[in-house]
Amino acid sequence: MRYNYTKAKNFSEFTTRNGVVDNPLDFKTFAKDIPCQNACPAKTNVPLYIEQIFQGNYDVAYRINLEDNVFPGVLGRVCTRPCESACRHNWTNIQGPVQICHLKRISADFFKTPIEPLTPWYEKTEKNIAIIGGGPAGLTAARELFRFGHSVTIFEREPRLGGMMIHGIPRFRLPAEIIEAEIDIIIRSGINIKLNSNITYQTLQTIQSKYDAVLLTTGTSLASHIDLDIDANNCMYGNDFMYAFNTNTLAPLSGNVLVIGGGFTAVDCARSCARAARKLMGEQGTVSIVYRRNQENMAANFEELEEIVHEHISIQTLCTPVGIVKENNTITGVTFVKNKLEVSPKGGKPNMKPIPGSEFTQACDYVIVAIGQTQDYSILGSYSSADEACTLQKKLFSAGDFRTGGKDVITAVADAKQTAQQIDEFLMGSKRRSVHIAVEMYENEYDGKTGRTRDFDLQWLETMPTAPIQQRAQNPDTEVEKGFEIQQHTSVSSRCYLCHYKFEINHDKCIHCNWCIEVTPRKCISRVSHVFFDEDGAPVDYVKSNTAADGTYIHIDSNECIRCGKCLRVCPTEAISMVKITKIECSNNVKLA
Amino acid sequence: MQRKLTGIYRTEEEEIKEAGFVLDFDEIARKGEISKEEKLIAKWYGVYTSRQPGNFMARVVIPGGIMTAQQARCLATTSYKYGQGIMNITTRQAIQFHWLKMGHLADMMRELNTAHLTTFHGCGDVTRIVAACPLAETCAYARFDVRKHAIATQKYLGSFRDLDNLPRKFKITYSGCDTGCGQPFINCVGIVAQQVEIKGKTEFGFKVIIGGGLGWKQFIGKELFSFVPQNQILEVTRAIALLYRDYGDRTNRIKSRLKFVVHRKGIDFCRDIVLTNLQAEGKQIDNILHTPIRETGGDVPYRIQESMYAATDGTTTVGIRVPKGELTYRQMNIIAELSEEFGNQHVYTTNRQNLELKGVKPADVLALQKRIRDIGLYTDGFYGIQDIVPCVGTTYCPKAVSETRTLHDILQPLLQLEKYTTIRNAVLINISGCPNSCSQYSIFDIGFRGMRIREEHGSVEGYEMRIGGSHTSFGKILGEFKTTNISEITETVLDTFVKLRTDSETLAQTVQRKGVEPFKEAVLYAI
Repeated sequence: MRYNYTKAKNFSEFTTRNGVVDNPLDFKTFAKDIPCQNACPAKTNVPLYIEQIFQGNYDVAYRINLEDNVFPGVLGRVCTRPCESACRHNWTNIQGPVQICHLKRISADFFKTPIEPLTPWYEKTEKNIAIIGGGPAGLTAARELFRFGHSVTIFEREPRLGGMMIHGIPRFRLPAEIIEAEIDIIIRSGINIKLNSNITYQTLQTIQSKYDAVLLTTGTSLASHIDLDIDANNCMYGNDFMYAFNTNTLAPLSGNVLVIGGGFTAVDCARSCARAARKLMGEQGTVSIVYRRNQENMAANFEELEEIVHEHISIQTLCTPVGIVKENNTITGVTFVKNKLEVSPKGGKPNMKPIPGSEFTQACDYVIVAIGQTQDYSILGSYSSADEACTLQKKLFSAGDFRTGGKDVITAVADAKQTAQQIDEFLMGSKRRSVHIAVEMYENEYDGKTGRTRDFDLQWLETMPTAPIQQRAQNPDTEVEKGFEIQQHTSVSSRCYLCHYKFEINHDKCIHCNWCIEVTPRKCISRVSHVFFDEDGAPVDYVKSNTAADGTYIHIDSNECIRCGKCLRVCPTEAISMVKITKIECSNNVKLA
Repeated sequence: MQRKLTGIYRTEEEEIKEAGFVLDFDEIARKGEISKEEKLIAKWYGVYTSRQPGNFMARVVIPGGIMTAQQARCLATTSYKYGQGIMNITTRQAIQFHWLKMGHLADMMRELNTAHLTTFHGCGDVTRIVAACPLAETCAYARFDVRKHAIATQKYLGSFRDLDNLPRKFKITYSGCDTGCGQPFINCVGIVAQQVEIKGKTEFGFKVIIGGGLGWKQFIGKELFSFVPQNQILEVTRAIALLYRDYGDRTNRIKSRLKFVVHRKGIDFCRDIVLTNLQAEGKQIDNILHTPIRETGGDVPYRIQESMYAATDGTTTVGIRVPKGELTYRQMNIIAELSEEFGNQHVYTTNRQNLELKGVKPADVLALQKRIRDIGLYTDGFYGIQDIVPCVGTTYCPKAVSETRTLHDILQPLLQLEKYTTIRNAVLINISGCPNSCSQYSIFDIGFRGMRIREEHGSVEGYEMRIGGSHTSFGKILGEFKTTNISEITETVLDTFVKLRTDSETLAQTVQRKGVEPFKEAVLYAI
């Protein structure tokens, strides 16, 4: 054929334009394009629910969250926010990430229709599963396994469900009724609960013989031990302290309190302490956190650090405890040595190097050691780790903190969901559900209208309203973060780039008229001479070109795209198309596109 | 202040338009800079930006394509003073100046005003220049003179301030008969003169077609009314403009033209609204018909031909073929002079970017033609193969992709070959530099649309080629070719046409009869 010119290949970042697929290229594009969802351990569909909040559909937003992360109300308050660190606003905007966590809370605060338990995916299977531990991981696994059609029984040591959420996190950060409401949604579906049942190695054996599978989600119930002689009547481990504080069994304390550690528990302890000892209004005595690294490495987020200062709690950093001053079984002071930080050759948190001769002793009346928690493996008998026990015993599974070590709620939820899949696969002999990428074509009738304009990127940040300090002092359970007002929602949610939309150019239709380049709100579309692909065909890099003759493609850079749809609307050859990508979990017997 | 978060999608242009259309060009000259908002509003004053930064283009409104000799002289002087002495005739019968400087815009407009010319409403979201068929008053087939109606419509619609902010441009054209030299099917409103019999009486009026348009998405217009009395046509155009104002899509400028309204809502809906609009303003609608009605004015030719130049009163029209539609101030001055010496003191612009002088005595024709040839313009090849219509292309237009004028020059020697003498009048060629189809590439026998073709590395200029368009149907795509190959492909197409042609068919008629396949085969597969 004459005039059949050789052209550079036409490429797309998906293997389909409309359908459900599971090719490596699609997953790669998904991970690159929606960094927040990819960063979330539970893969919460962040852009989708933020879009719904912007449109005022709080009910839909809540249900998306409920499906993905099980505890939207809880996580909207206490999540560690890996999504916000990954948010594209971090690198393309000066205002910081979208307040994803607060938005999750918005959906939980303002949904209207009562939530019904989620419907099961499959018919009843007659399989019985025991879950040891009713914390976030146990409850999540229970819900997921129930939806697989199995019957589930939860054994909980305490008189109420919730685990670390109820006993480890103070009420002023996470009110109990929020947790209970969300636990209720899970329980109501028909899950058996056995409270006050302390499972030991022996009882576990009987349970194992009675049930088809046993899942251990007992979390991290032991405190990590410090290499100091802290056995005294005015010293407590962090998790014991939080348990006592949350169950109102804390003995009165007074004077100066030292909290050793820099994790979530340490901060929670210090803030609870400030309430328990009524230090909020500046009464006698101090609460101070002593941490061996600097503030940058503390687990608490900036909002919490702000509140710490607000609540008259001081933070001393770069101090490692090296000695205890004791008098009559009472600690009167702790000796610290100053540190300097060095970059760790392994990566991660920096190493500490003590500065010789910098030792000093700090007097105190009470010491709380909150340097981490660890699993209680006594339930496993002779095994020394959860993974070891579970590999050797087919029926036994573990999830959450018990398997991964002390992490956060969202990681526990994600881990439990995954383990529930494994249990189902074990019981049913095959994998019944798996993850796919749904690519939905938005025909040109939509005109690329995602509802976003450039103005949305330049919104000012809203600050989270907090309870006045007097209120906090009067009632220690007063929630500090009061949640956004309904008027603030649009400006908070509008900032989201809605990364689940993707604009792509069909290079066979493109005539290089450059009209899209002219209407771009910023440098998101460019003429490129070369595009480099990885082994799956995903474009990884490109070289921009200045002249028309040098331009092989007109390329939309998804990392810069603000989803305003202007390019689609201006394209005279309809070469630009918009798709919506959603990560979905669906039955394996669904036919793929 | 926090930015607006209405959640309702509006285009930036709509927001700018809301602030009003007042622009002081003297102030812009003093400031020495023009903002983005001012650039948009400047369009209402007929001023566009140019491809060359710092330069502007102004479009002078010439309703119906008729200007007096004095106006023609004024245009020449203005272009000499401000526009490097160059002016371009457009396919909507206007005159454009390029190379204008920001500081001169106000002076240029003042200068034009002295000859009662204006650039106001030359561009912008308003009723654009109302065009008329080129031979309106002299054509033997014309039912009656539509040019005066075109001028009246321009004046009438321009006088309403509630039609200043339409969703997008609004184009009206008049044709004297069903031949449709005014291209009624590809305009927002196409008005065609009709001679019909109503209750045994011969009546003259108009057929109204709306919703046609080329641009990036092409539509053929649909008949709104089969008969509108002459004295009511102005009211009807206003009623259609009101329909467009109220129902045009203001959220997406690329889909806001009347053609999309008609396409989405349907012609019956539009008719109802137009009639309601007429009634709301207290107008008669009894005489307006929309049931099919037979034209009784006699047969009309397939297409305008040079042979139709002779008028009924014994005078004749002399055409001036302006290559690429571009002429200099000297040429314009002489043409103005010639119109006074030989013609009726008027110069006419045509929608094929040419000029015409009317009222010439047959005895003077040869002398006049010689004088025209003396200034470097042509007096032959009208409505024929050599009369190529290119848009300005990348020479001036910021939107263009291809250099259309180069293609014009490439094709010209080929078309003058001896072997094409027989098909001189059977093929019309239009070249558009981008999908906006300023030169209506899809409704002529051969149409080229500019594009760039991707290569292994980089891209080269090329064209999408269509063949077989006529004023009521669009050409069919032949393929996408690099500019370097266009000449030989055009030759193949024309040779195939010569082979396939029967009687005095035009290329479009042959394509309609035989389909595009024989041409594709010749171009793509023949060795």
